[in-house]
Amino acid sequence: MSCKLISVLASAAILVACRAPERVASPASPHRVVTLAPNLTEIVFALGAGDALVGVSEYSDFPEAARRVPRVGGLEVDPEKVAALHPDLVLAMAEGTARGAVSSMQAAGLPVAVIPSGSLDAVLAGIRQVGERLGRTAEAERLTRELERRRAEVARRVAGRRRPRTLLLVWPDPPQAAGGGTFLDDLLREAGADNVVAARPGWPVLSPEWVATAPVEVLVIPDSDQTREAYARASASGALSRGPIARARVVRLDESALTRPGPRVFDMLERLAESLS
Amino acid sequence: MSAAAGNAHRIEARALVAGYGAGPVLRGLDAAIPAGVIAAVLGENGSGKSTLLKVFARVVPIGGGDVLLDGEPLESLPRRRTAQRVAYVPQSVDLVFPIRTLDLVLQGRAPYGRGFVAETSDDRRRALEAMRACDVETLAERDAASLSGGERRRVFLARALAQEAQVWLLDEPTAGLDPRHRLEFLETLWRIHRERATTVVLVTHEVALAADLAARVLLLKDGRTIAQGPRETVLTAENLERTFAAPFSPRGSRFALRSEVLPAGSLEP
Amino acid sequence: MKRSAITLGIALLVLACAAAFLVGGVHLSLGDLLSGRGEEGQTARLLASLRAPRIALAALVGGCLALAGAALQALLKNPLADPFLLGTSGGAAVGAALAALAGLSPLVSPAAAFVGAAAASLGVALLARRGGRLDLQRLLLAGLIANAFFSALLLGAFSIASGEAARSMLFWMMGSLADATPRKVGALLPYAVTGAAVLVAAAARLNLFSVGEENAAALGVDTERTKRVVFLAASLLTGVAVAFAGVIGFVGLLVPHAVRSAFGNDQRTLLPASFLAGATLLVAADAVSRAAIAPAELPIGAITAALGAPLFAWLLLRTP
Repeated sequence: MSCKLISVLASAAILVACRAPERVASPASPHRVVTLAPNLTEIVFALGAGDALVGVSEYSDFPEAARRVPRVGGLEVDPEKVAALHPDLVLAMAEGTARGAVSSMQAAGLPVAVIPSGSLDAVLAGIRQVGERLGRTAEAERLTRELERRRAEVARRVAGRRRPRTLLLVWPDPPQAAGGGTFLDDLLREAGADNVVAARPGWPVLSPEWVATAPVEVLVIPDSDQTREAYARASASGALSRGPIARARVVRLDESALTRPGPRVFDMLERLAESLS
Repeated sequence: MSAAAGNAHRIEARALVAGYGAGPVLRGLDAAIPAGVIAAVLGENGSGKSTLLKVFARVVPIGGGDVLLDGEPLESLPRRRTAQRVAYVPQSVDLVFPIRTLDLVLQGRAPYGRGFVAETSDDRRRALEAMRACDVETLAERDAASLSGGERRRVFLARALAQEAQVWLLDEPTAGLDPRHRLEFLETLWRIHRERATTVVLVTHEVALAADLAARVLLLKDGRTIAQGPRETVLTAENLERTFAAPFSPRGSRFALRSEVLPAGSLEP
Repeated sequence: MKRSAITLGIALLVLACAAAFLVGGVHLSLGDLLSGRGEEGQTARLLASLRAPRIALAALVGGCLALAGAALQALLKNPLADPFLLGTSGGAAVGAALAALAGLSPLVSPAAAFVGAAAASLGVALLARRGGRLDLQRLLLAGLIANAFFSALLLGAFSIASGEAARSMLFWMMGSLADATPRKVGALLPYAVTGAAVLVAAAARLNLFSVGEENAAALGVDTERTKRVVFLAASLLTGVAVAFAGVIGFVGLLVPHAVRSAFGNDQRTLLPASFLAGATLLVAADAVSRAAIAPAELPIGAITAALGAPLFAWLLLRTP
């Protein structure tokens, strides 16, 4: 046999081995579900499918039962860990979570569903999509209708009210804010606040000078054991200790509920609207 | 110094060991150079002749043995004092940064200045005088990087002159020069040597240059001295064959080593 | 020393500081600052109290980096030497980051950064040594490797750090003057003065080095001692600059080159003028970083890199 033939056969074998595997369609009601973000874990639980979870992301700590599910990684997801769990559905977030890991899992034939979360509308649409994938369309419909109802109620309450100039910081120093086009910008607007950095898209890190001189009336900060000390320092001697912002009214909202685009964000919407009234 | 005044040697190396990094280049070398003569160090590439010069200039540290300058151990002298007595003229200097030719010559005054600063009017006068003596005065304001090879050699000679050292160490002083520049350079060197009775140690692999210029010759091979002494007694066919591992013929087969490269007597007084 | 160069340097620095004081994402009115009462006056004074230390920090950091670069260039006889490219800044950042990770007080970070910077210079110099001398190509390669290694270390430290410490890592990686305070300026000042004084005092020796190390040795300089002193002083300047402002690249490359083109290579002019010009450059770059995309800030390292990288490419093309 000539060398040429051997090499042709060898490359053919490699090509066969590398051929994309059959895509595994997830069953109508999956019972081995992995989530790659804590908000998705919350959605699965909210739809009553918590028992189907076999793997969750590092920071999934709500509800309490989520803490007992095996972890598959935090900011960096380990695709091999996910594959080893033989999931029949993997839920990933369209924004954020490691894009590379998601595409390699898709390429490996894992049934990955990418769920949107970039706005309040997207959060509701995401809940419906997760419901469809889990075979729990009715539950999802019921949940989203309830959330829509509460959202409309807030809208009715804040209509016509003066909108205080508000800044929502996701980190105090250097100050990083929720800018335009984020789900938290939606939340501020719908809760009756006027987001002072709405004109700047994304999550801008603000200059200390701007923070010290911005006419902020209300400061919204996420509250948790990890953030409390940093905010205390920033308000005592750091970026939040000078100018109008030092005198602004501070609204503290639970960090995990506020910063995760899941069902609890609507609790925060109500709480903020209430605080502003 | 009394030692220098007598017939003692100006520079002397005893069982000298030295070299960069791994193995020493000089392995127990002996050399003695009397005051006021031109001494040529001859040897193949890699024989250690440039290293010897750098040890004398304190560019390469002594690894073993002794080097005496006017009878005093070189390493016991402050570096700055050595630099006032010994000037080193490198084979070539790769100038990366711009420098005015006059400033390059003024560096010869650095060993005398506080904190190596040479900027008094006296320094300037001596530097310009030295440049005049070496016929490079007109180049004073030029960037030294733009000078030709021959001009640069004479500028470094002027620097050695400005340094007012009794000993000059010249590394391959004529390498890469065309015949005219070579002649100009050697005539300048010869003139200054005669006027000031400078001791000159020059390193070369040209037998002809040694034969025409030097009163004393050292033959080096593999980091050791094969022979040293007056030119007439050292430059024998047998010694040269041992030094260069090549046939030497005073009358000349076509490609054998010869000494008649310079016009005979062109540099003699 | 050319007095004209120093005078011009001081004038430009004063001008840059004045301009930087008035420029920024938020308008500062001099009238309000001087005579303003009530809210306007308060705002103006607040802005001034934020901007003044920041400008001072920018000036000191820029001066330190440029001076360190100029001295290293002369010492190594290499116009491409720069604390950033040689890995000194990276080493300093790793030193500071490890100290933060170990939970040490922020007061220790200048010392940790200095140790990191000195260790990095030493390591790069050892890697670049060949036959007893520093080889140009090896030096740049060693710097490249050191930088890759330090970035990896920083990223590693970043991924195991949490909250506050992780933010500090980001700060050291990106470089920022945003949290300048009068206390920081006061803490940096003695180090900057010490390092600068040592280097300027070595200027005449560095003139001899910039023709070649053998040249300096033959003219009576104790070259080993001078190398140690200059490396340590340059590491000190780089280390404290990084400890207080993170890694800001290319200042040490850009500034000495520009000053040399204008006033020649006499180190007694070049070193102090580089300090002044480096200060001017960073004050101006910081003003741009504050004003360009307000209310957010452009990372200052991005501005210096945008200026420095093309210059580096040009210098590399011209180097035989």
